[in-house]
Amino acid sequence: MTCETFRELLPLALYGEVSFEEEEQLDEHAMTCESCAEDRERLTQIIRSVGSEPAGVPPGLLSRCRRDLSARLTADGSTRRQPAWWERALAALNPSLSWIKPASALALLSIGFLGGRLMPDWGSSGSGSIDPASVSRVRYVDSDIPGRVRLVVDETRQRELTGEVSDAGIRRILMGALGDPSDPGLRAESVDLLGSSSDNADVRQALVNSLRSDPNSGVRLKALEGLRRYAAESEIRDALCEVLLTDDNPAIRAQAIDMLVQHKDTEIAGVLQELVRKEENSYIRSQSLKALSEMKASAGTF
Amino acid sequence: MNTHGATLVLPAQAGVMDEAATIRAAQRGDQAAFERLVHTYDQSVLRLAMNLLRSSEDAYDVYQEAFLRVHRNLQNFRFDCSFHTWLYRIVTNLCLDHLRKKKVRRQESMTVETETGIVDRAAVLPEERPGSDPQRTLFSHEVRAKIGSALQTMTPRERMVFELRHYEGLRLKAIGEMLGTTEEAAKNCLFRATQKMRSALGEFV
Repeated sequence: MTCETFRELLPLALYGEVSFEEEEQLDEHAMTCESCAEDRERLTQIIRSVGSEPAGVPPGLLSRCRRDLSARLTADGSTRRQPAWWERALAALNPSLSWIKPASALALLSIGFLGGRLMPDWGSSGSGSIDPASVSRVRYVDSDIPGRVRLVVDETRQRELTGEVSDAGIRRILMGALGDPSDPGLRAESVDLLGSSSDNADVRQALVNSLRSDPNSGVRLKALEGLRRYAAESEIRDALCEVLLTDDNPAIRAQAIDMLVQHKDTEIAGVLQELVRKEENSYIRSQSLKALSEMKASAGTF
Repeated sequence: MNTHGATLVLPAQAGVMDEAATIRAAQRGDQAAFERLVHTYDQSVLRLAMNLLRSSEDAYDVYQEAFLRVHRNLQNFRFDCSFHTWLYRIVTNLCLDHLRKKKVRRQESMTVETETGIVDRAAVLPEERPGSDPQRTLFSHEVRAKIGSALQTMTPRERMVFELRHYEGLRLKAIGEMLGTTEEAAKNCLFRATQKMRSALGEFV
């Protein structure tokens, strides 16, 4: 191997990106060439000095990203138009025949136009039979013939329901209400009520979801309260750790640390150490330190 | 240096099956499944964007745009590469766009937002332990400043390859795949990036 080849391969070798044979040749060359051996030592130090820790993500940024994404996805989903029946039919055509699509669309439109002229009135439920106020969501829209539309809609009817929170049907409705982005009050009330049924695994999952991603801190606090009795469960413990590291609300983090340190599980030591290093709230830091000391764990990482 | 497995939340082989099922469920419109996918990868995505763009707001924009694109195009994901590669292709493209715009807009500032506010980029690199001697701290500060300026001299592609290899621990083959280029081209980028690092830090080591 020449010195030039050595220098070309060296950076790649230090990142483990050369073959076994090339690595052997590099080693052999370094044993016989003092200058290249020094060069390798120098570059190793340079790469080491760059460090391996990437820039940190500021606290709260991840939870803000998640919450806003959740809201945008909801908006995105509700505004996205379903493809019309003819678009879906055309999409099924072989992609290699894509040139045919515009022509086919024109042909379908022509058929629609002629069909409209030649066919008798189809008759339908008509808009007159629908109360527009009862339409909660339009699911599907297309045009069968020019001037006419076909709609598939969800209708709502207001009804009053009464029952126990322990009733599975009532619980399902309450869990559904947690996904209503427009009404935090409704979500907070629903979370509060569901908290009394947290012995149910589905309810606990719904509360964990609210804790992780509800944009309203009041709702998240109530979800936390509802999960208190189950803080020792691994999934709840993971959610508490995540909240401690990502939630931007100190009151929620303070509540979460109290719940987490009740059960001194060695698996949370890493999170507590991170909190000692990064957490800006002194109460949370001191609780973390106290718990680590009671667990006989070190406060720092090495 | 981070290894591949240590840095990324890559599912174990058993988990790959679960992930495929989750992706299929999300393709059918299951929002909870989509959320699971997001939560599996979003910390790595945000960290990469933050590291490359050095701004919370830019990293936030990349995060939102990346996952919105994933949501809109998930139907087109055909399992001909891993989901991780597909997602990172979207993220790296968005980051490259941001880096290029920044390059055009201005000579990049040397600052980065951290939990303690806006600081010099070099200052977010590993700090000396408290108690070390001031001479050494000063030296280390200078080294970090040099690293920061070396990162500035890299082209967006060199920067991307360097970040993905050095900090994220990805293999050059995977990086090439993500950036829509060959392993050879990724190797060249890494070579040039380390040369720039070497020129900047040569006098210190």
